[in-house]
Amino acid sequence: MAPKKQIGNVLITSIIKVCGYSSILFVGLILVFLLKEGLPALKDVPLITLFNIRWYPIEGLFGILPLIFGTLLVTISATLIALPFGIGTAIFISEVAPRWIKEILKPIVEILAGIPSVVLGFIGILVIVPFFRKFLDLPTGLTAFTGAVLLGLIAIPTIVSVAEDALNTVPPGYRQAGLALGATRWQTIWGVTVPAAKTGILTAVMLGIGRALGETMAVMMVTGNAPVMPSGLNAIFEPVRTMTATIASEMGEVATGSQHYQVLFLIGILLFLLSLVINIIASAVSTKQRKRAERILS
Amino acid sequence: MKKFSVKDLSICYSDDNESLRKINIEIEANAITVLFGPAGGGKSTFLRVLNRLNDLADVKTMTGKVLFNGTNILDPKLDVIELRRKIGMVFSRPVPLPLTIYENVAYGLIMAGERNKKKLDQAVESALRQAVLWDEVYDRLSDSGFAISGGQQQRLCLARVLALEPEVIMLDEPTSALDPVSTSKIESLLTELKEKYTIILAPHNVQQAARMADYAAFFLMGELVEYSGGKDMFLTPKDKRTQDYITGRFG
Amino acid sequence: MIFSDIISNMRRKFVFILLLLILCLTACGTKAGSNAPNPDNTEQSQYIDNKGSDTIVNLALAWAERYQTIKPNVQISVTGGGSGTGLTALVNKSVDIANASRQIKQEELDAAKAAGLNPQEFVIARDAIAVIINPENPVDHLTLTQLSAIYRGEITNWKEVGGEDRPIVKLSRETNSGTHVFFLETVIRFSNKDDKTIFSANTLLLPSSEGIIAEVRENPNAIGYDGLGYVTSEVKMVAISSLETPEVYVIPSAATVADSSYLISRNLYMYTPDVPTGEIKAYIEWIMSAEAQQIVKDLGFVPIVENERE
Repeated sequence: MAPKKQIGNVLITSIIKVCGYSSILFVGLILVFLLKEGLPALKDVPLITLFNIRWYPIEGLFGILPLIFGTLLVTISATLIALPFGIGTAIFISEVAPRWIKEILKPIVEILAGIPSVVLGFIGILVIVPFFRKFLDLPTGLTAFTGAVLLGLIAIPTIVSVAEDALNTVPPGYRQAGLALGATRWQTIWGVTVPAAKTGILTAVMLGIGRALGETMAVMMVTGNAPVMPSGLNAIFEPVRTMTATIASEMGEVATGSQHYQVLFLIGILLFLLSLVINIIASAVSTKQRKRAERILS
Repeated sequence: MKKFSVKDLSICYSDDNESLRKINIEIEANAITVLFGPAGGGKSTFLRVLNRLNDLADVKTMTGKVLFNGTNILDPKLDVIELRRKIGMVFSRPVPLPLTIYENVAYGLIMAGERNKKKLDQAVESALRQAVLWDEVYDRLSDSGFAISGGQQQRLCLARVLALEPEVIMLDEPTSALDPVSTSKIESLLTELKEKYTIILAPHNVQQAARMADYAAFFLMGELVEYSGGKDMFLTPKDKRTQDYITGRFG
Repeated sequence: MIFSDIISNMRRKFVFILLLLILCLTACGTKAGSNAPNPDNTEQSQYIDNKGSDTIVNLALAWAERYQTIKPNVQISVTGGGSGTGLTALVNKSVDIANASRQIKQEELDAAKAAGLNPQEFVIARDAIAVIINPENPVDHLTLTQLSAIYRGEITNWKEVGGEDRPIVKLSRETNSGTHVFFLETVIRFSNKDDKTIFSANTLLLPSSEGIIAEVRENPNAIGYDGLGYVTSEVKMVAISSLETPEVYVIPSAATVADSSYLISRNLYMYTPDVPTGEIKAYIEWIMSAEAQQIVKDLGFVPIVENERE
């Protein structure tokens, strides 16, 4: 009996181990593949061409700067839009709303999270693009701003559900303690509950940014994809081309191993590094918090 | 002098559990009133009525009157924020707010609008001294409220309440999560504090109830079974149920 | 705790990818099986994979549907993606017929030869590229020089070409589209091979024909171009004049394309990896037939004239 049990244990442990290690392996393989295909670009394409402001690959112009700044512009604006809405909604659902509204809102947010981004892009083209053109009196509604709004919409459900979970795990004692000290409901939320859920809310924000950074389809449909170097405050209301949209729309046509192919992979590496940085920041913040918690428990 | 006069207080929660039934009690100022009885007897609910913290709970019906200094605090128009500043509360588990030690103590005052740094400093020091915590933490006031031991945390929570200079301090099983040394520190502290404050204590065992009581009230299944002054109840209980509980036959 | 959630989430994704991989592998396996020629049994259903130019995709779909009613045992799958995509797939041997709205490039031909292929070219229809604007825009004709200057970024306001005081928003297909390359060469560079001018950087590159039509239909500032077959009545076509006769403006139509008086027109192609045989040969022969060329006409393209057929 005992040896049989042991075999089962060993088996399950090793299966779990394999699963765990395989994810590391996959990430590693993806990185190796990206590096193998993308790094030659640094050798084959003159750096002066790469760090230029003109992207027109079919004529050998591989200036990636407008793409990088386009991505940053859209992602940062989307985050600025999604942050207050997402956290506000999370606070509303978790702290303020009466139970019946909570029970309606939560599934709605989940449905919003499940809408494919192509569908949102379609709505974007048909509704949001014309609306912004008329409302803001722009030459065209296909702008970075439209993309940012749409990305914000895509990132909000992620932020809401993770932030709401974080707020829910705050012990009710905190709220009661805040209230019992004569703080108002809002003072308790801002002064006690939100700070207590800080780590989780930060994770929510990082995941939201990651979602916005990686989104392709919706952005490709509404930002106009013009590789213009953003300059000045007005750039948000002009068309931009993001890194993801560039890879998605051009990867299909390129000949394997060509310069264009290598540069697209280089863009992939840059995206990988960007999301890596975001993840490192997120985990650095949460481990810092965890260390503090461990000190208290000991 | 009576701090609270409770008349025919009944509470029924939304899930149809009757939590308090026709409670009548008068609570004396500058004394320790002990509420004891088995879990679920209604002590916590009763405490949370006195500072209206059960506004958050799903209360279906609430009838009766609670007079605090002569005014009915169940009046929906009452300013609960003002009320809660006068009636402080300490919970069973220490819950420092996710702030520094200094900010924890100053929190109530800052929320009440106090911005004068000097006044805040004085209030924090005085509250920490009253809670006999000053000597232990004066050199690390900017550490997290979590960075001190459980007993210290609970005294921090008490200091936080004292900083508001309340009239009443309610403690809901304040020592249930603490070791005996910390427990006795808190108990002797309460005995000192009753000179200035009205103290309502829900202890977590009969021994503590007997040690601390100036007045004692026995709660059982939402009913106030017996209420009397002094330690008489623990020696010669009038009600059979009280006797059974004290002698350890149930609970 | 939240952190471990993320990790478990990641793991779930990997399992999903693994499943997807397995699915792909099995799918490839079955496809290869059905693709295997079976000369003994002509009733065996034959599978033709057809991919490429987005300009041609609707036409190719219409042909495939009609052909299915004639020969139910032949199944034709049609996908778009752009001329470059189709020709790349041809070189990678993953399609039977590639659609292209431009001729195969020398490097693509070289790559195909290197892969042991001998690509065959068929002109299957003619197409005109219509320049389109919003019906609200009073402009109705442009010279080729003006059109080029607009897309080069030298003319930026409609009033410079006789319109209202509005900024010009230039729309184009993505660079992987045959239409894009054709427009670049014929319009922006005036068919001059030495001219290296390119689109102005602020030209919007939209991923689909529908995207261009949608924006032009809605935005009075916009100018775009698209295959004649895609132009709907909700947008307005602009008459274009040539460099030689700038005073003669021509609207694209079947007639003006057929008599070559409309300038921006081109052949549409199909490529096979090698000299076609069997069902693929039969299909291409059918495409050249009068029946199939009527479909070309119905969809707004221009049928190939009699003498261009072999």
